Amino acid sequence: MNRKPILTVLGLVIVLSMALAACGTPATEPATEAPSEEPITLRWRTRPDNQAEIDVYQAVSDAIQAQLPAGITLVYEPGGAETSSYQDVLKTEIAAGTAPDVFWIPGTDVADFASRGLILNLNDLASQTPDFNMDDFYAAPMAHMTHNIETGAEGAGSGALWGVPRDVSTFVLYLNLDLIIEAGAPDPRELAAAGEWDWEAFYDVATRVRALGPDIYGYGANAWWGPYGVWMNAAGGGFYNTDRTACGLDSAASLEGLAFQRSLYVGDNPVAVPYGEDSEPPFMAGRVAMFQNGRWATPGVRANANFNWDVVALPTGPSGHMGDWLFWGAYVVNANTAHPEEAWQLVQRLTTAETQAMISELGTNIPSRVSQEAIDAFLTFTPPDNNQAFIDSLMDDPVAEGPLWAGSWPEFVAVMDPAIQALMTGQTTLEEFQISICAEANRTFNP
Amino acid sequence: MKSPHRFFALLSKLVTYVVLIGFATIMLFPFIFMFSTSFKTQRDTFRYPPRLLPREQLTATVPGYPEPLPLYYVTVEGQLQEYALVESNIRMGVYTDPDHPDVTYTLPLDEIQPTGGVENQRIVLYNNTQELLWDVPVDGHVVPMVLINQTAFGRFADPASPCDSVLQNVRLSEPVEKLTIHPGNYAEVTELQGLDRSLTNTVLVTILVMVGQLATSIVGGYALARLQFPGREQLFIIYLGTIMIPFVVLVTPLYQFMVLIGWVDKLVSLILPWIFTAYGTFLMRQFFITIPKEIEEAALLDGASHLQILTKIFIPASVPALATLATFTFLYAWNSFFWPLVVINTGNRANHVLTLSLSILRGRAADNVNLVMAGAAIAILPPMIVYILAQRFFVESATSSGLKG
Amino acid sequence: MKASIQLEAADRRTVILLRAAVIWHIVLAIAGLAGGLLVWLRAGDMLLWLRLPLGALLVLTAAASSLTALFVQRGRHSGRVLSLAVNYLGFLFCFLGGMHVLGMFTGIDSLASTFGRGIPYLGGVLAGYLISALGDRYENHPERRQMLKRVGKVVMLAFMATFLLAIGTLSGLLAVVRRFTSFLPCLLVGGGLLFGLMIWALWRRDSAVALGASTAHEQMLNGFLFLSPNLLGFLLFFAGPLLLSLYFSFTNYDATTHVSDWVGLQNYARLFNLTIAPLTTPDQPVTEALDMTVYDELMRFNFFERSFILGAQDKLFWIALRNTIVFCLLAVPLSVIPALFLANLLNSKLPGMKFFRAIYFLPSVAAVVGVALIWQWLYNAAVGYINYSITSAVTTINTLFGSAILDPQIRWLSDTRIALLAVVIMSAWQWIGFDTVLFMAGMQAIPRELYEAATVDGAGRWAQFRRITIPLLGPTTFFVVTTAVINALQLFEQVYVLINTEPPGGPANSTLSLVLYLYVRGFQRFQQGYASAVAWVLFIVIFGVTLLQYRRQRSGAYA
Repeated sequence: MNRKPILTVLGLVIVLSMALAACGTPATEPATEAPSEEPITLRWRTRPDNQAEIDVYQAVSDAIQAQLPAGITLVYEPGGAETSSYQDVLKTEIAAGTAPDVFWIPGTDVADFASRGLILNLNDLASQTPDFNMDDFYAAPMAHMTHNIETGAEGAGSGALWGVPRDVSTFVLYLNLDLIIEAGAPDPRELAAAGEWDWEAFYDVATRVRALGPDIYGYGANAWWGPYGVWMNAAGGGFYNTDRTACGLDSAASLEGLAFQRSLYVGDNPVAVPYGEDSEPPFMAGRVAMFQNGRWATPGVRANANFNWDVVALPTGPSGHMGDWLFWGAYVVNANTAHPEEAWQLVQRLTTAETQAMISELGTNIPSRVSQEAIDAFLTFTPPDNNQAFIDSLMDDPVAEGPLWAGSWPEFVAVMDPAIQALMTGQTTLEEFQISICAEANRTFNP
Repeated sequence: MKSPHRFFALLSKLVTYVVLIGFATIMLFPFIFMFSTSFKTQRDTFRYPPRLLPREQLTATVPGYPEPLPLYYVTVEGQLQEYALVESNIRMGVYTDPDHPDVTYTLPLDEIQPTGGVENQRIVLYNNTQELLWDVPVDGHVVPMVLINQTAFGRFADPASPCDSVLQNVRLSEPVEKLTIHPGNYAEVTELQGLDRSLTNTVLVTILVMVGQLATSIVGGYALARLQFPGREQLFIIYLGTIMIPFVVLVTPLYQFMVLIGWVDKLVSLILPWIFTAYGTFLMRQFFITIPKEIEEAALLDGASHLQILTKIFIPASVPALATLATFTFLYAWNSFFWPLVVINTGNRANHVLTLSLSILRGRAADNVNLVMAGAAIAILPPMIVYILAQRFFVESATSSGLKG
Repeated sequence: MKASIQLEAADRRTVILLRAAVIWHIVLAIAGLAGGLLVWLRAGDMLLWLRLPLGALLVLTAAASSLTALFVQRGRHSGRVLSLAVNYLGFLFCFLGGMHVLGMFTGIDSLASTFGRGIPYLGGVLAGYLISALGDRYENHPERRQMLKRVGKVVMLAFMATFLLAIGTLSGLLAVVRRFTSFLPCLLVGGGLLFGLMIWALWRRDSAVALGASTAHEQMLNGFLFLSPNLLGFLLFFAGPLLLSLYFSFTNYDATTHVSDWVGLQNYARLFNLTIAPLTTPDQPVTEALDMTVYDELMRFNFFERSFILGAQDKLFWIALRNTIVFCLLAVPLSVIPALFLANLLNSKLPGMKFFRAIYFLPSVAAVVGVALIWQWLYNAAVGYINYSITSAVTTINTLFGSAILDPQIRWLSDTRIALLAVVIMSAWQWIGFDTVLFMAGMQAIPRELYEAATVDGAGRWAQFRRITIPLLGPTTFFVVTTAVINALQLFEQVYVLINTEPPGGPANSTLSLVLYLYVRGFQRFQQGYASAVAWVLFIVIFGVTLLQYRRQRSGAYA
């Protein structure tokens, strides 16, 4: 026997360790040297829905970079598009210490992030910034953004500021005009203009379209809290009681909204795409007349719809309002950031009127700053022609998508969602739903 | 007497093949669907009834229209023609004669005049309601009818002579199409989700896991099969027992361990914990104990070290087992999803493996089935190729060595 | 004469080396003890689960070192074994620690960024290998064979070198060397050298002889050495986390706030907290029957004409457990039974069987994520192929026979009663091929003579299958069923990708599996203590089921 195997093994070890050595990261080198004038790298993240959005945010990042003093480098990283895991990933990263300095989160999640101590209270920094004025933004999101966990106070002077809203959006109904005309139904846009666009008119249009064939549906919406919340809101109800400290799902008004929604799915005349089925593919395939979704769906419809389409505001409910949501999300600052002041600067620059104009030009959202100028600009981003529908909803006293400060929003949804699912698929009746829903949901509130 | 026997033998063969082909179709169809959809245009994916082959609607330029117009099949005078859709959403009225309510006529609304003029239009009692009467031309004469419904048609015209046109429902018309293939989907999805990087990451991770696992399994299996040391049997039993422990039991502490040593979000976390498996060691040990002891003893007498015996005798003798283990490891490393999902951040695209990219792609390109399927094909094709190449080892020896335990 | 002089000379060196080893171990023992005390007393803010093993490890090192010093001093061989073990572990620690500090592990990331460039050169390496393999064909032409081998080797080496260059080995190496300027890498390398030196000192043949080593001892050391990579990795990445997970399950560990308090059995108590209450009428509202501040309604049942309601504190856990068991009970037979029949068909000597076998196996090699994405579209209620084929079949039957069967229009993924079945069908489809191949392997081990004898006796194919194949396939069936059950109980990926709802496991929790529930708890709500308790319950279920099957196999139930 010779020494060859040993040589082979040695050679292998050398090759392998060389390969491993190849990994010596040049990127980590600067960290060890030149601590005197430390260059600052700020990372920020949003949840884009498509490549076009990623490109715009990258452009925003580059534009802000140009305004920043030397020594600060901005890095934009697009987050995942999965609706839920985006937030979960952020929490994981904060726990592991790898999260970006500034990031966007949806309004519902602000409470969870704040009460876990994962995001920075920007109040002190903001009070030293004379240019920053809370009144520039829509009031309802701002109230949530200034919620003080200890005192429960909200608004200016509460001692808390968790972030600055990035944008707002509302629900509308995307219309397949071809189907509506073919069914001989009245044009919802004309009904809305005449002030006759209520639940009854909506149901009538949906019924007529549904009569076109077994595979044609009058209405479609996806199964999450946004769509079903609208019907409760429009009837004067909602998820919570008025001071948001307990469940409000079993109030008479909430039940009225749910009853109407249930009649769309189960009963003698179900007009909607079955609850739980994704409504987007059939809508794109030209088989749904009215598809309820937010502004974020516009690029997809533009790209895919092979028919005449437009949008209309949601129908008015018994409360006299549409009950639409004011969807919003905010830029917040990582609680463990090494550069809180620079991060706050970045948050401000990300929410200036100029930046918001750049983003809303994409047509997927509405600026969070209250300004007629911004709204006028928004109206020109067609199609859809009837952009006014979004603004009408915005002006019709929408319910702000809200963080649940008095409890755990993920736990609350985990109770509410399956119960609504069972209701909308006809497995439970409204009476059964009403009996125990709040007893169950109230346990997700803080004792 | 022999011929019925033969007949039944033939019949049983036939039934066997029918069953086998039936199952083969079920097994293959999802993959066929994946490949065909990955070559479709986006609009071709949302269709009912669904069709397997990628197609695109044909268009034609019609004099007087700047844009090319889509072609549909239209029946004119009993003949199927290819006409272009020149106008859609023409409002139509559905009329019926109150005396013969079972026959309806669909005509453009603006071609119909009110019976008796606009000023004093005639009224008739129909279904217990007062309805207006309209003059509807039928076969050359005018019949007063009631309007019972409205709908919309499209105008289809002969591209050669646009004056020849027909009205009919657009939605129910059959479009004229031709087969087309869009391989561009693959490039697009690669660009969209950075699949090229995911692919090289997956290849790198898979190779390193394979090499590492083979190395530790070979030496470990050799020690358990051939070297005497205290506690060997107990260790072997513990190894065997842990094969049963589900991975999820380890996820939480393993994740915390990765946080502790700073490997979260790093590719090394997908490699190092996976190269020490009880299963591979067990497999190699099972194979090594079948190798006769005589050759090894002779070599030992010649003064060969155990390492030399392993590399010179055992490894060459166990190529099938190694190929098996390598293939299993390849498939496992390539297809693993739960651990990458936990340990690699969705934001860090540079460190994604294919399975992770795919699950994100599903969210990002929800309405682009063609792109999602192209991505799935990129992830599924390499293991299929490896399997087809390694089939011989894989199926014949692998499974039986697993059964000896 | 000459030999004895050499021995004497060597002996003096051995004695010095052994002395040095004793001193080294005494130093090591003191250092270990001091380190252990330091960790225990000073690192108060360190988490308990971290502090305890670290301290224990250091104290253990100290104890082993002092024992080693004692044994080596007395000239006992066990001293050599212990010393080698301690030094080997120390060397590994320094070596791996050094690699870690030098960023070689995390550096795989940057290797990945350049790796793509190098892949074509790997093709060249493969070509070189093929050339040298070609040489084996010319067994009768030794010269040609030799030449091909050499050319192949040169090609392989050349491409390997280009590959290493292309992926940036050189710059990486330079970066590593530059990092040696800091203190920690130097310390670790120095420590590693010392440990290595000690290993050499005791591994030497002379030291072995001096301490009275036998061949059995050598074999033992070799055995441990060969097993050590696997065993250490196994301890670090498997056994350690396993114990930690057990510990976590007794705490309220939260991964975002890093709170970790010992709560005893509280997690398990919450999981298993059930209550039964009598009902006055079968449809009495749950709010009257149960204390809704703690319990949720799980189910109602009749027992001796009286109605009861079963409540649970953690309803979702029980739902997940039920779904997992239902999935297992459906998916395992649905994949195993067809596989048994297919294997029997494929085992016949008809032409083309290899082709079919290859096709049946294809689904098992594909990633579950990819497969689930495909099936998601096949299942689509509106435009999917499955409903389309059902509709076509129903229409065909109706027109052929004039019947009036209703088109079921199944909503595969959104109907709470169907969604789990959709997961079952997809999983069974993916598993059938694997099970078939396992059964075929088992069938090939059955002696052909048995069938021949049976044919002579006039037994038909079905009788042969029942009387010979199934009984003799017992061990295979046990293996197939057991692995299928273990796989089925760990259902996660299929649901996570196929049923894409928020919260996961929809519609209305009808597809929530135990592992998915664990994922939600541990990685969406970050209650990792609670998640660990769920994991251990799952482990116990799997263990129990496997044990039960093992017993049944022993008693011949699979025969």
